[in-house]
Amino acid sequence: MKIIATYNIKGGVGKTATAVNLAFIAAQNNFKTLVWDLDPQGASSFYFRVKPKVKGGSKAMVAGRRELEGLIKATDFENLDLLPADFSFRNLDLVLDARKKPTKRLKKLLTPLTHDYDYIFLDCPPNISLLSESIFEASDILLSPIIPTTLSLRTLEQLKKYIKDNKLNHLQLIPFFSMADKRKKMHREIMESLAEEHPDILSTAIPYASDIERMGWERMPLGAYVRKSRATEAYMALWQEILGVIRLT
Amino acid sequence: MIAIPLHFDLPKNLSAKKFINKLSKNLDIQLSNQQYTIKILFDSFDWRLYNADIICEFNHSNSASQLSLIDRNSGKLLALENMPDMMRFTDQFPKGRLRTTLAPVLEMRALIPLCQLPHNAHQLNILNKDQKIILRIQLDEHELIANQLHLYPLKGYDKALKKVTNILQNTFDLNPTKYSILKAGLKLEGRKPKDYSSKFRININPDMRADEACKKIYQQLIQVMQFNEAGTLADIDTEFLHDFRVAVRRTRTGLSQLKNTLPTKEINRYADFFAWLGQITGPTRDLDVYLLSFKKYKEVLPISLREDLTPLYTLLKDKQKHAQKKLTENLSRSEYRTQLNDWETFLTQQPITKKGKKNGIHLTVKQLADQRIWKVYKHVLKEAKDISESSPAEALHDLRKTCKKLRYLLEFFQTLYPEDDMKIILKALKKFQTVLGDFQDYEVQEINIKQFSEEMMANKVSPNTFLAMGVLVQYLDSMKCQARAEFSNQFALFEQAENKHIFKNLFSNKFSVKK
Ligand SMILES: Nc1ncnc2c1ncn2[C@@H]1O[C@H](COP(=O)(O)OP(=O)(O)OP(=O)(O)O)[C@@H](O)[C@H]1O
Ligand SMILES: [Mg+2]
Repeated sequence: MKIIATYNIKGGVGKTATAVNLAFIAAQNNFKTLVWDLDPQGASSFYFRVKPKVKGGSKAMVAGRRELEGLIKATDFENLDLLPADFSFRNLDLVLDARKKPTKRLKKLLTPLTHDYDYIFLDCPPNISLLSESIFEASDILLSPIIPTTLSLRTLEQLKKYIKDNKLNHLQLIPFFSMADKRKKMHREIMESLAEEHPDILSTAIPYASDIERMGWERMPLGAYVRKSRATEAYMALWQEILGVIRLT
Repeated sequence: MIAIPLHFDLPKNLSAKKFINKLSKNLDIQLSNQQYTIKILFDSFDWRLYNADIICEFNHSNSASQLSLIDRNSGKLLALENMPDMMRFTDQFPKGRLRTTLAPVLEMRALIPLCQLPHNAHQLNILNKDQKIILRIQLDEHELIANQLHLYPLKGYDKALKKVTNILQNTFDLNPTKYSILKAGLKLEGRKPKDYSSKFRININPDMRADEACKKIYQQLIQVMQFNEAGTLADIDTEFLHDFRVAVRRTRTGLSQLKNTLPTKEINRYADFFAWLGQITGPTRDLDVYLLSFKKYKEVLPISLREDLTPLYTLLKDKQKHAQKKLTENLSRSEYRTQLNDWETFLTQQPITKKGKKNGIHLTVKQLADQRIWKVYKHVLKEAKDISESSPAEALHDLRKTCKKLRYLLEFFQTLYPEDDMKIILKALKKFQTVLGDFQDYEVQEINIKQFSEEMMANKVSPNTFLAMGVLVQYLDSMKCQARAEFSNQFALFEQAENKHIFKNLFSNKFSVKK
């Protein structure tokens, strides 16, 4: 079982699109898969047509009064379940802070689910806070979408430093390019130079594609409404490359 | 994580179309798929899956074929596998849950089809306002049996399940039932579950005349032969021949141990016939046993030699094919058929009512059973006591045969005696037989493997094959010696006071021959 968080401190970089589409592919390959929508905006819940509502809200959930198991919803796709978001997740930071060992809390809540699933994707909101620390603690993999811009180099380096400084040795950072537009000279150049400085960036990039943008219309994972396109192939290749670099143990 | 589906039997006059139309009035239904599908139910000849509460069904349509195992009581799906073709034996199945569930239950037995149920399978989705699926329904519109409905609840959508079951109850007057497909399918074939078992069991009234009771026993045995004959000829799996042969051996034991109950002329004639039948079925069975043991043979070898044993497998397989062919020829001969038919006719004839001199006719079956079992039991004890460390192998082989006779007699007359007592002594006897059986089997295998290696000399087989067979012979020899060394222990266990007491209590001193 692996817990994969799609994470970037920045918003709108494709975290949700990545979590939803990769989870869909994993499930199609017969892996029991769960997406946990941790973002109060509930974007991944929306894509699966599940109401962003959790009984008792974040308080009851974090307190463990409601087992996560009981909050799970089956999606329309085999092997793929969703733990929906709730508007109260906007206070998740505060709720966590009120607990003893706040950063260990998510991990503890997830433990009972580890037997039921092969992959759990955490779709994270964009911010750096107590929730992020909790997510770092709970995850095996931090899958980080990077838009090829000059700023993103700094963000990636900050993230690496943070992981190093906090000795998060269990956590494997996997960065990859998202929303890449090969027609843009700047994108190409930044991708080339970044790849040189950071060889751990995956070689598969997710292109900027109108197919993917349409997810909000269709309200389903890309693979459920597009049989085969440049975008579906890219996600498939990304998933294969991730499987290849995931550290065992 | 697999939710338990709910099953409903639909009334005869309710077509799928009508049902869906009516249900659409209350619910947002999407027909996601519709497939002409043939469902074939499988079990082994001796109902091993049924006895283990498993239903095995193969659903085959143009676009997919799947094998699923379903818990017969709860209807829960135990395992499911996409398989383009149905397989007969578990070791042909892809590795996975399905195979690990089936293997220990089926062992060497083949899966054979019980019935075919063509139907139109409709996959329906119930949707909510967001067009999200909240319940999956499968509606099977059958050609031969009542239509069936299955609800597959989705995690987190219990309310939808409740709502739909309520509608089914209130609008359609339908209540969930047990998954009834097997019952319905078998009824179609005029069959019932467990209509064959390889265990011998016959209810006899203790006051029945001995000769009548014996005929009843023989009748049941001939039925077992008839049941297994087709499977033997078709070479479906090894157990058909095995059960066939056991019935032959039981009959022979009857003819020798209960001989006074029938006219000598008949006894002699059929004793010869069944001896012949035992003989012509022997070679195939022996080879079957080697082939069934082959996996074990390989396992006892060092890994580096395992593949070198393959030429032996090829030889055994060839020999088995040849033996099977000869067996088929023999069982197709008209003499065989005539003799068996005559025996069957003879068994249905009225018993001789004439008051003859022969003992058997005057005894009740209980009296006969007491006498014979007690006598053979004493034989067993005597033969076993006479065996010492230095006794030849033949002594153990003879004892093995006597034990078999005792076992068959106990099984013939089992229902005449208290069940608990019979259980204890049958179990003890079985255990004692195991050590005798092992001893003989290992010895015979050792001798035959040596013989096979001589035959293989002519075939330019690699030296490593002979090396492997040498290791195998050594293993068989050590197992044989182990069985021999265990003999006295096992006999002591069989001879223990409790068993002796039961034997004495049940079978001795009760001869009250009517004068
Ligand atoms: N490769 C892509 N090509 C085109 N559009 C994309 C691509 N990836 C994501 N999008 C679109 O960009 C928007 C933001 O993407 P997404 O929601 O996945 O990002 P996010 O990082 O999860 O955002 P947030 O920080 O708000 O949670 C969405 O409308 C999405 O449909
Ligand atoms: Mg998002």
